[in-house]
Amino acid sequence: MAALGATVIRAGRRFLSSLPALFGVLVFTFLLMRVLPGDPAVFFASGPNAGKEEIEVIRKQMGLNKPVPEQLMLYLYDVGSGNLGRSMMTGQLVTKDLRERLPASLELTFTALLIALLSAVPLGVLAALRPGSIIDHSVRFFCALGVCVPTFVSGLLLIYVFYYLLGLAPDPTGRVDIFASLPPRRTGFLLIDFLLAGDFDGWWAAFRQLILPALSMALFVVAPLARITRASMLVSLGSDFVRTARSVGLPWWRVVVTYALRNAILPVITIAGIVFSTMLGANVLVEKVFSWPGVASYALDALLSSDYAPVQGFVLLMATVFVIVNLLVDILYGIADPRVTIG
Amino acid sequence: MSVTGSRRLLAVVASVAVSLAAGSVQAQTRSETLRYVTGASVNTLDPNIPGSTREAFAVSLSTYDRLVSFGRKQLNGKWVFDLGKITGELAESYEVSPDGLKMTFRLRKDAKFQDGTPVTAEDVKWSLDRVVTAPVLGKAQLLTGSMTSADQFKVIDPLTIEVTLPKPDKLALPNLATVYPIIFNSKVAKAHATADDPWALAWLKENTAGSGAYKIETFKPGEQVIMARNEAWNRGTADKSASFKRVIVQSVPEPATRANLVERGDADLVIDLQASDVQSLEAKGKLKVTSTPQYNAVTFVSMNNQIPPFDNVNVRRAIAFALPYDDMFKAALFSRGSPLFGASWADGKPTSGAYPIPQPVKLDLEKAKEYLKAAGVPDGFSTTFSFNVGQASTAEPMAALVKESLAKIGIKVDIQKLPDAQMSTQINEKKLPFFTEGIVAWLPSTDYFYRNFYTGNQRWNYSSINNPELVEIAQKARFEPDATKYEEDGVKLNAIHFSEIPQIPLWQPSQDAVMASSVEGYTYQFHRQVDYRDLNRK
Repeated sequence: MAALGATVIRAGRRFLSSLPALFGVLVFTFLLMRVLPGDPAVFFASGPNAGKEEIEVIRKQMGLNKPVPEQLMLYLYDVGSGNLGRSMMTGQLVTKDLRERLPASLELTFTALLIALLSAVPLGVLAALRPGSIIDHSVRFFCALGVCVPTFVSGLLLIYVFYYLLGLAPDPTGRVDIFASLPPRRTGFLLIDFLLAGDFDGWWAAFRQLILPALSMALFVVAPLARITRASMLVSLGSDFVRTARSVGLPWWRVVVTYALRNAILPVITIAGIVFSTMLGANVLVEKVFSWPGVASYALDALLSSDYAPVQGFVLLMATVFVIVNLLVDILYGIADPRVTIG
Repeated sequence: MSVTGSRRLLAVVASVAVSLAAGSVQAQTRSETLRYVTGASVNTLDPNIPGSTREAFAVSLSTYDRLVSFGRKQLNGKWVFDLGKITGELAESYEVSPDGLKMTFRLRKDAKFQDGTPVTAEDVKWSLDRVVTAPVLGKAQLLTGSMTSADQFKVIDPLTIEVTLPKPDKLALPNLATVYPIIFNSKVAKAHATADDPWALAWLKENTAGSGAYKIETFKPGEQVIMARNEAWNRGTADKSASFKRVIVQSVPEPATRANLVERGDADLVIDLQASDVQSLEAKGKLKVTSTPQYNAVTFVSMNNQIPPFDNVNVRRAIAFALPYDDMFKAALFSRGSPLFGASWADGKPTSGAYPIPQPVKLDLEKAKEYLKAAGVPDGFSTTFSFNVGQASTAEPMAALVKESLAKIGIKVDIQKLPDAQMSTQINEKKLPFFTEGIVAWLPSTDYFYRNFYTGNQRWNYSSINNPELVEIAQKARFEPDATKYEEDGVKLNAIHFSEIPQIPLWQPSQDAVMASSVEGYTYQFHRQVDYRDLNRK
């Protein structure tokens, strides 16, 4: 109990110590957006006949008529009071947009990571048990395939086969069938919300909708996870304690799972953490292909139209998620190997 | 068979029956629903808000009524909007005074807002005042119809409103049929106005207060809008409510997915597909494909007439004869559209006063070389050719062909693919020497095109042309009541255009609407979106 308390306190301290980094990200993104070529006011005033006057109105609306240092101060003040500004694209507050869209991205990324881990770890272990065998080579082949096929290609292929040709998957748009009614929003995670509402048909519909996008994302990240599992299993299998465990006649699965894998899992956790953070931001193409209302496609649209506020909000969000994920990874480290503590 | 066994069987049969029944119920609601998928997204419920998208226009025209709307006509067997036929929507009748200075609108007695209150002339005045006073997009639009001040709108009695014009203006009435002068329920809107925001811009962006054929059920900006039919609405052509009970407007960014959806029968109607997809869907013959040339739009290659070497007319002529038109048309659009090149003008005179008309240009490298020589740059020069990312699917193959062809006459072209915002900025600042763009006019009359796209130091004058004669004729034509003289002016404008070649019109792309074979009534609209009220299922 005391250990748990200490962990929480340390984690809190770690989080606080990352605040300066977040602040840096905030200022840097703000300045970066302003040096990028492209005037958002001109872009958004692109309706027929929109002239100088309209451009000025929008510029004022976006606060771009003030000098940059003043804009930055105002922005920092706003962020401090929990306001990330308003998106010109959707017309909504950025915080509202992100709050609505983040669960969609998280749900997709978690599922994809789960699928990836569930397939990558056994594959990596199998490959490590028989290095150089046909199994090892097939795992390598499969990983290479997963990495070299871009997610939007695998996504479109999956849609083509499972939706268009076979008709097994539901239509690949959004998180749930458009004619279905949504559960009351509690967590924003549809799979959880449907369960809480006791609507199992809805849960099934949302689940079916989730499989294809999660699969195409998982395919892409199986490779790093499987490769790292294999490498670290090889080291672990060749080490003294495994030889000792083998020599005292322990069953082979016990040797592999308890002795080798437990020691080999640390780098996998690290990579999984990194993979998760990158996936969350990098799944733009999957979100586009599947019309998934997530944060990544939102940020891309904003970037293309130089819509400052959402891009800044998104980068801040990603930085925060990255900090939190790193923290979680450290905590998981402690569980996997009690010698490691977070400091 | 044991008792439990038969019970189990019974249960299975019952559950199958239940699920079948459920299925048929669902099928029925689907048949009464129009599911429309599009690449763009709806970002506001009030089209007047700066930054509103084309999709938003279509939604607004279903949730709001205007005083008048365009009729429709057939063009090569396809329904298109008719600029020449203005019919009443909220107005039961209207008349224009003989001197053309007064327009009087008599409102329908039975017209009601969606909250049940009657539509009055006060609401109309408030709405029109808003368009010309508030900082909204409609202000610049109504300017093109000589409506600039709230003084011009006068309430005569609760059902009559009068619009006065400083000059007879052909585009005044059609302007009232565009998307901006929609009629708001002024009582509701005023209730949500604040001191900072007297025209309730913020509230109306996310809420509606209209009298239109559909009510908003859910609105998720960037994702989807679901609308339910307003049963009381009777402003349709046959005095009845709209045909579909529900309309779902869904954003599906990936064109291939949109094509799959409509082909599998999950979506009813889709526009803005890739030309290659449309072609294959058409070839399969399962779906209805309506291709209408966008007769109010033009894609062109523009040159900045103020930046050397494009300030030299002979350079512009050289380019005009060095573009591989046919190949570009095939590569970019799979030849879906109407070409604006390869015409032959008898004794060099424009064939009509309409805009745009096919130009007498074709690929002729010898001629191009002669023009380059005349321009004093016989060995060519280097330049950049820009297009925006949003148009990459058509502009990219086109740019490659331009580069290849111009290389043959010594012009080195660097292709520049710009993000949309950056492209608009550079165009606005007149920095791009050579690029491709598209224009659209809601009110496609010759003088409107020339005034908006070929005059003044403003953004839409892409080529930055400054020709006093052109300006003068275009301004005069605007108020020209005589049709023959107007046509003569048009011919003159077209002749100047060809002799100056500020930019090179290429084609009018097709609007390809792909729909389930059961969907009927599709009409090509001025805003290049679907008017959901036109549609029904047979």
